[in-house]
Amino acid sequence: MTITGTSEKAAYQALKASDWHLEGAFDAFYSQPQPKSYTDARRLEDLYNRYKDAYADMIMADGITLLCSDILVDHQDIVMLVLSWHMKAATMCEFSKQEFIGGLQSLGVDSIEKLREKIPFMRSELKDDQKFREIYNFAFGWAKEKGQKSLALDTAIGMWQLLFAEKHWPLVDHWCQFLQARHNKAISRDTWSQLLEFAKTVDPQLSNYDVDGAWPYLIDEFVEYLIENGIIQKGQLSDWTQKH
Amino acid sequence: MVLHKFGEKLYSGLVGTMTLHLQEMAKTIEAAQGNLFLEELNRKWNDHNKALQMIRDILMYMDRTFIPSNRKTPVHELGLNLWRDNVIHSSKIQTRLLDTLLELIQKERTGEIINRGLMRNIIKMLMDLGSSVYQEDFEKHFLEVSADFYRAESQDFIECCDCGDYLKKAERRLNEEIERVSLYLDSKSETKITNVVEKEMIASHMLRLVHMDNSGLVNMLIDDKYEDLGRMYNLFRRVPNGLPTIRDVMTSHLRETGKQLVTDAEKLKDPVEFVQCLLNEKDKYDKIINLAFSNDKTFQNALNSSFEYFINLNPRSPEFISLFVDEKLRKGLKGVSEEDVETILDKVMMLFRYLQEKDVFEKYYKQHLAKRLLSGKTVSDDAERSLIVKLKTECGYQFTSKLEGMFTDMKTSQDTMQGFYAAYAAELGDSPTLVVQVLTTGSWPTQPSITCNLPAEMSALCEKFRSYYLGTHTGRRLSWQTNMGTADLKAIFGKGQKHELNVSTYQMCVLMLFNSADRLSYKEIEQATEIPSSDLRRCLQSLACVKGKNVLRKEPMSKDIGEEDAFFVNDKFTSKFYKVKIGTVVAQKESEPEKQETRQRVEEDRKPQIEAAIVRIMKSRRVLDHNNIIAEVTKQLQSRFLANPGEIKKRIESLIERDFLERDSSDRRLYRYLA
Repeated sequence: MTITGTSEKAAYQALKASDWHLEGAFDAFYSQPQPKSYTDARRLEDLYNRYKDAYADMIMADGITLLCSDILVDHQDIVMLVLSWHMKAATMCEFSKQEFIGGLQSLGVDSIEKLREKIPFMRSELKDDQKFREIYNFAFGWAKEKGQKSLALDTAIGMWQLLFAEKHWPLVDHWCQFLQARHNKAISRDTWSQLLEFAKTVDPQLSNYDVDGAWPYLIDEFVEYLIENGIIQKGQLSDWTQKH
Repeated sequence: MVLHKFGEKLYSGLVGTMTLHLQEMAKTIEAAQGNLFLEELNRKWNDHNKALQMIRDILMYMDRTFIPSNRKTPVHELGLNLWRDNVIHSSKIQTRLLDTLLELIQKERTGEIINRGLMRNIIKMLMDLGSSVYQEDFEKHFLEVSADFYRAESQDFIECCDCGDYLKKAERRLNEEIERVSLYLDSKSETKITNVVEKEMIASHMLRLVHMDNSGLVNMLIDDKYEDLGRMYNLFRRVPNGLPTIRDVMTSHLRETGKQLVTDAEKLKDPVEFVQCLLNEKDKYDKIINLAFSNDKTFQNALNSSFEYFINLNPRSPEFISLFVDEKLRKGLKGVSEEDVETILDKVMMLFRYLQEKDVFEKYYKQHLAKRLLSGKTVSDDAERSLIVKLKTECGYQFTSKLEGMFTDMKTSQDTMQGFYAAYAAELGDSPTLVVQVLTTGSWPTQPSITCNLPAEMSALCEKFRSYYLGTHTGRRLSWQTNMGTADLKAIFGKGQKHELNVSTYQMCVLMLFNSADRLSYKEIEQATEIPSSDLRRCLQSLACVKGKNVLRKEPMSKDIGEEDAFFVNDKFTSKFYKVKIGTVVAQKESEPEKQETRQRVEEDRKPQIEAAIVRIMKSRRVLDHNNIIAEVTKQLQSRFLANPGEIKKRIESLIERDFLERDSSDRRLYRYLA
C-alpha cells in the first residue's frame, strides 16, 4: 500500500487471493499490511506501557515525545496527525490506551520497527484526496480544547500551515494574516471544513468565486480583504463586484 | 316600356341621357369662377338629387323588376355613380374640388371664416357617393396636408413658445379639429385627424417640451402650475408613451429634491422642521396628482416609491419622525380639533409606511413616549392612543404591545397612589406629596438604574411607599429610577421672592442640600448626592449657567463645571413667572454617541429576530438552498426592517454552530433543519 496507494480492502483481497505471497499480490494487485488478527496483543500492551504516563492511564506529553524519538519523527511532523487519525484520538497531546492500541492494530503494527516502516505509507495517505479531507476535518476536533466548541485561532493557524504545506494552497499565508488582522476570534467547525472546500474549488485568482455561493461569512470577508489590499485584482471578479 | 320588354332600352337610354346631361352640368361647374365653384357644384348636386328622386319615382317599376333580375345598378345608385364618374371625377373638377376644399380648411385654420354649411354639403355629397370616394378623394389628402401643416406649425411654435403656451396652442388646435369634424366632416375622421395632431404637435416634441428650460415639466411642478400640468397630462395621455414620460421626469425630479432635502445639513438641525418639510412635499405632490393628474394610480405609485427611496437615504429618518410626533403630542396639537389631529397623525403614518427600518422608529418612539408619559407632558391622551391604534393596524400587535403596557402602567400607578394615600393618610399629612409611577421593566426602554442619595424627607417617604407596594405585590422587586423623576419645589429667595421650581430629581437633591448649607463645592455636592459625575455636571449647569433659570450662583462664573467650583443660592434670582421650569427631561435628537448606542441596540435586537425567522422557515421547509433562505428571511422581516444578507449569513452560521442546522454533505449550498 505504501508503494501503490490503494485501499486496504482491495489489498487485503489481493493478498488473500494470492495466498499471502507478496510477490504474487504485487504482480496482480497490491500488497497489504497484516490484518488485525496478526498483531500480537501482548506486544501492544508492552508498547503501551512503555509510553504510558506515570500517574494516569494515558499516554501524555512525555510519552509522546518518547514515541516520536523512537520512530524518528519530529513531534510537530504532520505524520503524527495522521497517526492520531488512525487512532481516532479525541484530542492532541494525549492518547488513551484504547486509542493507542486500536490505532496500531488498525495499522497492523505491534512494534516500533513496524511502526517506523509504516511512516511512508501514512505520509502517502495525505496525497489521497478523500483521506486528506477526512484527516483535515478530523484535525479540527483533535486540535481544539476539550469542552470548547471552537478552535483557538493560534492553534488553527498552526494546523493550517501544517496541512496546507502538504496540499498546497497559495492563499494560506494571506488567510492566516487576514485572520490575525481582522478576526482575532476562534474558528467554528463550519468555517474550518468550508475552508478546505474553498481552497479546493475556488482558484487562487478567485475568478470562479461566487458571492452567492453560501461560503461562510469569514471567507466572504477574506475575499474583500484580498481585494482591498490589492492582492487580487478587481477586474478578475467582475461578477462579484457587480453583485456587491 | 318595361312591361313591353323594352327595359334594356329604357335603362341604357337612361344611362345615356343622364350621362350627357351630367357632362353638361360638369361644364357649367367647371366654368364657375373662383369662389362660386363650390356653390355651383352644390347647387347642381341638389338639382341632381331632386331629379334623381323624381326619376326614381317614375322608373320605380323598372327599379323593382327589370333591374334586380338583370342585375343592373338601381336607379338611385346609378344616378350617384354617374354623377361621381362624370362630375366629380371629371379631370377638370376632381383636382379643383380637392384643392378648393383643402384651401378652405387652410383658411379656416389661419383664422378666416368660411362657409361651413357649404362645406358640410359638399363633404356630405362625397360621403353619399360612397365611403371610398370620401376617403380617396378627400380624406386621405386632407390628413396628409394636415400633417404637413401641423408639422410646420409645431416647429414654429416650439421655437418661440414656452411649454405652457405651446400646450395651450396644441390643445386649441386639437379642439378645433374635433369641432371641424363635428361641423362638416365624417365622424369617422375624428380619430384620424386627432391622431395627426397628436403625433405632429405632441408626440414629436414630447421630450423637448418636458425638458424645456424654465418652463418645462419640472418648473411646472415646482411652481404648482396645476392648469398647465393638467393640460399636459390630458394631451400626453393621448400619445403612446406620453404619460410614462411625464411620470419618469416627475419621479427623477422628486427623487432628486427629496435626496437634497434629506441630506441638507441645515434642515437636519431641526428634526421637526425636517419632517414638516417632508409632509409639505407630500402634500404638494398629492395635490398635483389630485388636481392635475386626475388621481392617476400609476403616478401615486411613482410618488410612493420616490418617497420610499429618499426617506431611507437618511438613517436618522425614523428618529426624526418620532421626534416630530413627540413635539406634536407634547404641545403642537394643543387646541387642535379632533379631526385635524387625526389628519396630522394619518399623514405621519404615511411617512412611517415609507420607512424601511421600522424597528428603529419603534425604539425611538418608545423612548420618547416614556419621557412624555413620565413628565406628564402629553397634550391629549386620546391622540396618543389613536396613534398607537394606527401603528397596531399597520404593524400588528407585537409592535404596540409594549407601548400599550406603558399606558397601563401609568394607569395602574395612579390607582396605586390612591391606595397608598388612602392607607397612610394620617401619617403623611405633613410630608411632601409623592407621586410614584411603577414601570414594568419589559415594557419601558431600558435605563441603567443609578440611585442617588435622596434628601431625608424623601427617602423616608419612598421607603414607606416601597413597603406598601411590596405588601400588596410580594415577589416583585422595585428599584428607584432617580434619573427619570421630577420634583416641584417651593423656594423663597433672598428678597422674599417666592417661586415654584419644577426640576428633575437630581436637581432636587442638589437644591435641597442648600437648606442646610450656604456654600457647597462641587466635590461636596457630589459626595452628598452620589449622582454620577456627567449627570451631575449637566444638572449643575442647568441650575447655575442658564439665563432666567439660574437659581444657583457659581464661582467662577464660567460655563463649565470644574471640580473646585463653589455654588451658592442665587439670592438675586428673578423670574417673570411664579412657576419656573428647570427640568431637563425633554426628548431631544440624540448626540452622536447616543445615536451609536441606539443603533447598536437595534442591531442586537435584530439578531434574534433573524434567527427566529430562519428557524421558522427551515422548520417548515426542512431543506433549503442558500439563496432561497436569504430571500425568504428578507421577505418575512420586511415589515420591520431590511435584513442584511451578510447578517443573515452570520446567523445561519451561528445556528449551524449550535446544531440547529447543518450543511448538506453533497451540496454545500443546501441547508438542512436538524430537529
